[in-house]
Amino acid sequence: MEKKQPKDETQLFSPPDISDDDILEAMKEIGGYLDITPGTFKEVFLFAYNHAINRLTQSISAKDVMSKEVIAVKKETPLATTTEIMAKNAVSGVPVLEDDGIVVGVISEKDFLFQMGAQNTGSFMEIVSNCLSSPKCVAASLREQCAQDIMTTPAITVSEDTSVFEIAQIFGEKSINRVPVINHSGKLVGIVSRTDILQAVLYLNKKS
Amino acid sequence: MLTLLKKMKGTTKSPPAVNFFEIVWSWMGAFIGIAVVAYINYNLFDDTDMAMLIGSFGASAVLIYGAIRSPLAQPRNLLGGHIISALIGVTCYNLFHAEMWLASALAVATAIAAMHATKTLHPPGGATALIAVIGSAKIHNLGYFYAIMPVGAGAIIMLIVALLINNIPRNRKYPEFWF
Repeated sequence: MEKKQPKDETQLFSPPDISDDDILEAMKEIGGYLDITPGTFKEVFLFAYNHAINRLTQSISAKDVMSKEVIAVKKETPLATTTEIMAKNAVSGVPVLEDDGIVVGVISEKDFLFQMGAQNTGSFMEIVSNCLSSPKCVAASLREQCAQDIMTTPAITVSEDTSVFEIAQIFGEKSINRVPVINHSGKLVGIVSRTDILQAVLYLNKKS
Repeated sequence: MLTLLKKMKGTTKSPPAVNFFEIVWSWMGAFIGIAVVAYINYNLFDDTDMAMLIGSFGASAVLIYGAIRSPLAQPRNLLGGHIISALIGVTCYNLFHAEMWLASALAVATAIAAMHATKTLHPPGGATALIAVIGSAKIHNLGYFYAIMPVGAGAIIMLIVALLINNIPRNRKYPEFWF
């Protein structure tokens, strides 16, 4: 018979591999007569472990870790201004908004790198390499453009109730570093970056 | 067929043996618990129609003095399991005593079902239900009073002893929960 196993929704947290002998040792330490077999205990343990992981990962959502004061640009903002804003605030990406605050895209260093000739890997070194082999400035074409011309759209967004765990998965799957948080009408209310996820992990550690 | 054999092989190990200390305290609890109930039965109720000691208390002693952490050994299960099973046993005897095999089987099976349904599963309850059917004329004459005495009263006495004795050693405690 296939042993019934808890559904594994959280691949990141595989349960510790405890053996029957570990459980027997633990039962000896507790002492007294425990009327449960190691096998049954293990089943209970695995289910309980998954419940705990789900509870912990669901307990922190976007609204708990997001930055509320978000540096953002309008879609008509010229790229020259966009880069200035990003440089001044030392951020590597910003949401791009409609006039009414609805998120339509995200513009990040990577979008610039692509525009400047890093067509393959989106890496800075690719640009340096192109620059060294070409006499004209690779950024020249960007002068006349504005945010909406090079932004990544549609924006990948999350809601305030999206769990931090799901956000971490999105970061991994989509290879992005930040995600705008929007309310039910699509308006920007915050942003969660990879650093914020780290904060959440520390917070979880403190809690447990 | 193969899966059936596989299932019969078992999948895990037996729990560890308890230490000497646990054995001594299990003995102590059981001795005092049964002593009190048996003394009342043989010395105080000797010439009466009343009884205090029934066989299923021997089984309860195993749980409430020897496996005190077990859910089966908690007060809810001890009292609920015995009393509910006693009522069912008496009812089965009253209705079906013409067919003793049927009364016996119905008593035990229904007692288990009722204990499950009420979260009071206590293995000795099965014996309590069966004794109501196959017991002596003295037991049959008690009617539903059987559920109060010896069953209810005896279980309460054994519970009191368990509460006193099981909580003396520093690393033993009883109960895990009440209801």
